[in-house]
Amino acid sequence: MKTMWRRACGLTVAPLVMASAVACGGGSDQASEGTTLRVIVNITPNLTEKYWNDLFDGYEKAHPGVTIKLELTGTISPDAKLRQDLAAGDPPDVAQQITPKADNVSLFTDLSDQPWIKKTPLTAQYAVGGKHYVAGVGEQIQSLVFYNKAAFAKAGVDAARITTMAQFTSAMGELKDAGYKPLQTAGQWVTGAQFSMIADAGVLTADPEWSAKRNQGKASFAESGYLPYFDHYKSWIDDGYLEKSALGLTYADGQTAFLNGKSAMYVMGSFFVPAADAAKKSDDIGVFTMPTDGAYPSGQFGNISNPYVVVNKSRHKAEAIEFVKWATTDAAAIKSQLASDGNLREGFTYPMSSLGTSVQQILDKAPSVLVKSGESEPITGFSDELNKQIQSLYTGASPEDAADGLDKWWNSQS
Amino acid sequence: MVELAELTAGLDRQARRRARLRESAVSFAMMGPAVLLYTVMTVVPVGVAVYLSLTDWDGFSAAAFIGLDNYKHLFDDPSSSEAWYVTALIATAGTVLMVGLGLVYALALKGRSRANSFFRAVAYFPHVISALILGYLWAAILGTNGAINNTLAKFGIEPLGFLFDEQFALISLIGVIVWAGFGFNVVLFVAALQTVPAELLEAAAIDGASKRQINLRIVIPMIAPVVTVATVLNLVGLIRAYDIVVSLTGGGPAGSTQTFTYLILARSFEGTKVGYATAQAVFLMVVSAVLALVVTALRNRQDQAATGS
Repeated sequence: MKTMWRRACGLTVAPLVMASAVACGGGSDQASEGTTLRVIVNITPNLTEKYWNDLFDGYEKAHPGVTIKLELTGTISPDAKLRQDLAAGDPPDVAQQITPKADNVSLFTDLSDQPWIKKTPLTAQYAVGGKHYVAGVGEQIQSLVFYNKAAFAKAGVDAARITTMAQFTSAMGELKDAGYKPLQTAGQWVTGAQFSMIADAGVLTADPEWSAKRNQGKASFAESGYLPYFDHYKSWIDDGYLEKSALGLTYADGQTAFLNGKSAMYVMGSFFVPAADAAKKSDDIGVFTMPTDGAYPSGQFGNISNPYVVVNKSRHKAEAIEFVKWATTDAAAIKSQLASDGNLREGFTYPMSSLGTSVQQILDKAPSVLVKSGESEPITGFSDELNKQIQSLYTGASPEDAADGLDKWWNSQS
Repeated sequence: MVELAELTAGLDRQARRRARLRESAVSFAMMGPAVLLYTVMTVVPVGVAVYLSLTDWDGFSAAAFIGLDNYKHLFDDPSSSEAWYVTALIATAGTVLMVGLGLVYALALKGRSRANSFFRAVAYFPHVISALILGYLWAAILGTNGAINNTLAKFGIEPLGFLFDEQFALISLIGVIVWAGFGFNVVLFVAALQTVPAELLEAAAIDGASKRQINLRIVIPMIAPVVTVATVLNLVGLIRAYDIVVSLTGGGPAGSTQTFTYLILARSFEGTKVGYATAQAVFLMVVSAVLALVVTALRNRQDQAATGS
């Protein structure tokens, strides 16, 4: 009986001992020979895992003892990945592609006292409560229409003369008659994102405070300058300028279809340029500013590129800040990141294709860069809901239904 | 003498009581690890989830208690009702098809032969692969640029809307889910079929029962408990459908394949609404438990009616 009793006690205690051992054993990422910085990275067709490893190899060589470990996000967003890690008590040190908002700045280290922070782009636009929590590498602009030069030539359309939505729609008709799919779109997040690229240039140039007003409940999609853009978009679907079958394409498939010359136009951000360069199609593709129902050229809907934040709970904050400083101020690191994603930054140039140069010229002529951040940052989940509502235009919803659905969703979230 | 006997009896009682106590203590100590693990792994997380569902926790700030607001929001949120509709369709159609097909397949392949073993393995094979990967594989087959539509395009045929038409996409999703999961039911049913006494089937055949009658009147009723288990497992599993949704349709087009779990994980947790997402998850857990209980209760009632007890 005594043996049995001892065994029973042993069985009871063993899991506790094992759990304690596991708990005490994990968590330390400070190897005896140096520091490991864990960085949540943004993986895209342009910014691959290999790209980041190669880039950060340079930092590791210049900083012996520091190892950069990539934290991949899988199917979730960098923001969700960060929260998962924090909830698990396993904070990373640095995260990319997260822009702090008023309700989550406590997660990030205030970089305002860093002398280099104001040299990074769009710092004022992304400040929260006057403080700087994020450092970016460059800017992306997104109110761009890339076009197939051969298609335009065949249809007899002059891209330089397209400055209004009516002209844009008319050009699509001519391109369709010439045997091309007028406008390339895709499923996943692309449908809603393209609508933003199309509509924001016009609406936010006319009223830069529109997003802030929507946040305050003083504006709605159904009763604003957005509704005409929903109308335009729906008419393009009805006229066959946008194909429903494109909803079954991935982002990469849509991009490839345009690069292969199957479609005449592709509304996308400046980050499309490296893909065109890689496909050696840059010289066959032109670009112009998205037309609007108002001023032309409009302001460019844009955002900070490669934003880095230092996680407040990082166990190696000083090293993490040093790393972010390097990523956003070191000339070689900046040029590499700008070139890899077709981004732009004043004072920095890199060998550009003809298409990249055209995008740079558009930015130079743009009256403003329209950034949705701070008070103008839409509520969380907006891009998913916008995507859903824009896709509903393909499945029978009217422009009014889609705009109204967006307002109802927004109101239900506040 | 009487006193001595009473004393001895008293000592015996004490000894027996001590032995019983020792046995109870040993039993509790034996159960201890399991109870501890169950408490740590299940009871505590569920308790924490219920508590969080009553807060406005965003995943990092201090959580404030907001009572039942999150549960009320479940019924105002337009996304929730749409997602429930899709989830109910997938769970119902998927369960019926997976159980039905599994049963037909198992009945057809119940005999012992190499061909039957091969086809059973073929049916079970998709279950071995991650559902996420299966979704991506089928997306490469059914997408607008997928293998089928590319082949059709070569013959000048317009692409079929497997993934871009809202109704077709839902059918495609259910189809892939059924294809991926029914093999598990086949294995369960084949194992159950092996337990049906051969002499019973022989007797029925000698009495002139047809194969159809034998299957419907003898075999299926005898494996009914396993069918119930499969139904509950499929139903509860499909109510939580997520991974194939992510990789095959991403909830689209226009949210037409967005399931409730997809909504919780891809939208509520991805946002900063952890308290609300937890309320959704608790609600889902309750619905799953109720459905499992209802199916089991119905089955029990049917069994009792059949045995006349």
